[in-house]
Amino acid sequence: MINSNEIIDDIANKEYEFGFSTDIEMDIAPPGLNEDIIRFISAKKNEPEWLLEWRLKGFAAFKKMEFPKWQHFEMPALDLQALSYYAAPRKKKQLASLDEVDPELLATFEKLGIPLNEQKALTGVAVDAVFDSVSVATTFKGKLKEMGVIFCSFGEAVQEHPDLVKKYLGSVVPHTDNIFAALNAAVFSDGSFVYIPKGVRCPMELSTYFRINAQNTGQFERTLIIADDNSYVSYLEGCTAPMRDENQLHAAVVELIAMEQAEIKYSTVQNWYPGDKDGKGGIYNFVTKRGICKGAASKISWTQVETGSAITWKYPSVILQGDHSEGEFYSVAVVRNKQIADTGTKIHHIGKNTKSRIISKGISAGRGDNSYRGLVAVGPRADNARNFTQCDSLLIGNQCGSHTFPYIESRNKSAMIEHEATTSKIGEDQIFYLNQRGIDSEKAVALIVNGYVKEVLNQLPMEFAVEAQKLLSITLEGSVG
Amino acid sequence: MILPFYQALTEDVTALSPAMDSLHDIRRKALERFTATGLPTLKTEAWRYTNIQRYLKEFPYELLTTAAPVSPEVAESKAIPELDCYRIVLVNGHLQADQSVLPEGKGITVGAMSAHTAAPGFVTYFNEQHHLAGESMAQLNTALFADGLYIELAANTVLDKPIHIVHVYSCATHAIIQPRHLWVLNRSAAATIIESSVHPETAAVAFANSVLETVVMENAELWHYNVQQGEESFREVHTTAAQQHKDSRYHHFNFTLPNTPFTRNNLSVALNGSHTETNLNGLYIANNHQHVDNHTFMDHIMPDCNSNELYKGVLLDNANGVFTGKILVHQEAQKTNAFQQNNNLLLGSKADINSQPQLEIYADDVKCSHGFTAGQFSEESMFYLRSRGIGEDAAKALMVNAFSHDITDAVKEPALQHYLQEQIAEIMNN
Repeated sequence: MINSNEIIDDIANKEYEFGFSTDIEMDIAPPGLNEDIIRFISAKKNEPEWLLEWRLKGFAAFKKMEFPKWQHFEMPALDLQALSYYAAPRKKKQLASLDEVDPELLATFEKLGIPLNEQKALTGVAVDAVFDSVSVATTFKGKLKEMGVIFCSFGEAVQEHPDLVKKYLGSVVPHTDNIFAALNAAVFSDGSFVYIPKGVRCPMELSTYFRINAQNTGQFERTLIIADDNSYVSYLEGCTAPMRDENQLHAAVVELIAMEQAEIKYSTVQNWYPGDKDGKGGIYNFVTKRGICKGAASKISWTQVETGSAITWKYPSVILQGDHSEGEFYSVAVVRNKQIADTGTKIHHIGKNTKSRIISKGISAGRGDNSYRGLVAVGPRADNARNFTQCDSLLIGNQCGSHTFPYIESRNKSAMIEHEATTSKIGEDQIFYLNQRGIDSEKAVALIVNGYVKEVLNQLPMEFAVEAQKLLSITLEGSVG
Repeated sequence: MILPFYQALTEDVTALSPAMDSLHDIRRKALERFTATGLPTLKTEAWRYTNIQRYLKEFPYELLTTAAPVSPEVAESKAIPELDCYRIVLVNGHLQADQSVLPEGKGITVGAMSAHTAAPGFVTYFNEQHHLAGESMAQLNTALFADGLYIELAANTVLDKPIHIVHVYSCATHAIIQPRHLWVLNRSAAATIIESSVHPETAAVAFANSVLETVVMENAELWHYNVQQGEESFREVHTTAAQQHKDSRYHHFNFTLPNTPFTRNNLSVALNGSHTETNLNGLYIANNHQHVDNHTFMDHIMPDCNSNELYKGVLLDNANGVFTGKILVHQEAQKTNAFQQNNNLLLGSKADINSQPQLEIYADDVKCSHGFTAGQFSEESMFYLRSRGIGEDAAKALMVNAFSHDITDAVKEPALQHYLQEQIAEIMNN
């Protein structure tokens, strides 16, 4: 058997596979955070007055807040004044087809294994590629339009569907929610907007690839998904970012709204640059994600596979307001080197007969620190609420940490809440068993880890499941416990 | 937020205990710590579900440091039938020798804290438990306690009978009473200690803020039962800081039964040696507007230790239950097995439970788990009992009895076990 220290060194020394950067002429605002820059962004994006006002309200809220102190890691020093809050690939002309997209940009996507044109042809996935801040290519639009589905960049939605945006923007994550949400409200650059009309089952997986490219540019995406009565949508989000030495902040906000009997499935594969083996560089992924099951019998499901970022800090949450509504959270978080993940979910049971299910799988290697933090709150009106939570942690190497901080609050006697958490390492007996059957230790670990996270990966749409599996095996190659 | 009773005493804490001069520095430091943090608020993470200020501001309390004469019947009322034991009666933390039957013999030291400040166990272990430093109520106790019970068993001393300590809290006006105890079991010593408390007055409210430090040395074994069955006019913050050394066993039982409106139990166990065994068991049955908060901390510092924690709660009426269980496994503590379970039955229509089972793990070769449930009787079980002619209330009582059986069954003293089962049955029958 291979010496486990060697293997851990091996993982620790693994270089980031998707590290490269593209040179595209950028239209960059000067660094600094103030009202002028907010007005600049708003003007640049030709926004209506009410949105500018909302941004300024967000900024006012931001100025009153302090960075939180309760997290289980040391808060990195963030100099928000040193960041530039607007970067857009210089617009040459309106693009009619993919051929007109900057070839260098297309090559970037090619390296990531997501060539737009191929995907368009082969997978039937409509891709709204966000390159830094401005959407540069949108596919399958025609087909979606036929069904009445609106899937466009946030900026476009503001121009073309201002009523919808105005009605729902900030209704789930208000501009006062937390300091990063307030910052996002003030300076959000672009993002995606989805509206599924009544009774429509979105015929394809909607997906957006986020990229952070320009140095010193924090990315402040804003995603808003509304599923009207009896509709269904599955939304995919995947990320990789080029290698950088300086830390980059990503403070996005995602809002989901499910009306009566609607279902939203939101899947994420996150593989941003995690920093080198000494923890230098890497992305700070401080995202606020929240969905509300507004209508009766609606459902929101979050699935995430988090392998990247220096610090991942987010709690995709569900507010179960409608009776009989359902919330789900499936998560795999992998940390190695000096990565930190403080993630989990919050489920608020408000309506009657609401159900929730939380499956969280943490894997810690190297000197990584992985925390599950979650809240299950059952309100006095939530009769017969039902929750099941399972958080498992796998430790690889003796310098990593794995923590579980659940908060469980039940105010209703008819509620049934179950929570369990376990921590363990890959058993030598398990490896031995597989060795006996001719499977070498490396493959054995891959097999065990795969089995360990299967419950979560099964929730991903097929295209993503393949990518996620690949990511996990790359990340944990050779990790014999 | 600053309470008058400690404001007045900040000037001269030493006036409290002329017999314990050696403690001046410790007291002063503790008072500094307490004044720096102040009383816990809802923003204090460890107190996020318990608003202690609500209970402290209820009345104008005064700090009571002396004992009042109390008739022997008061302590007698807490006697456990058929339990053959040594009985020790403390009034407001002061030992009442005339009402007590103390264990005697070679290697047994039992007496007032104030009389044993020179004892080697006291010198080495008093206020040594670092977990106390983070708890402001414990700091308040350290700063201003009057007296308590000191127990030290020399190496290889095994007590032949359990010790039953009855804490009597007696006050004429609303008072805060702060006893402080230290028990040291040296190498291979063994003891069983049962605690009960009683507050005979109903007109004056007693708020007890007690701290107990226990030290279980190499290969020693301590069975420790705390039966909290108080009165409407009693409130309590009870801090127990235990430390265990190599090969030792510590079994802690905490029973919180109805009526006392507010109980907070801070329990921490530091494992300073390897190959130890720790069992923490708790049962809380709360009624009316009772607030019961169990805050436990298992600190796995050394390798090869086992800990088991099981807390069960039955919440009736409008009762609030809070459970926090933290398991911390340090990087050196490889081969740790640490298990924790918290189960709750919510029977009252306005009862609620807040639970925070936490794992903080820095070692890889460990097996740790925690579990939490909150819910109801299973309908099938109820139906089964009802279909056999058992009335609804009787069936409920039977089910609660079965639910608490995991805890009561682990009680080693048959007389105590019987007593507790009777108490539980009586609560459910009412």
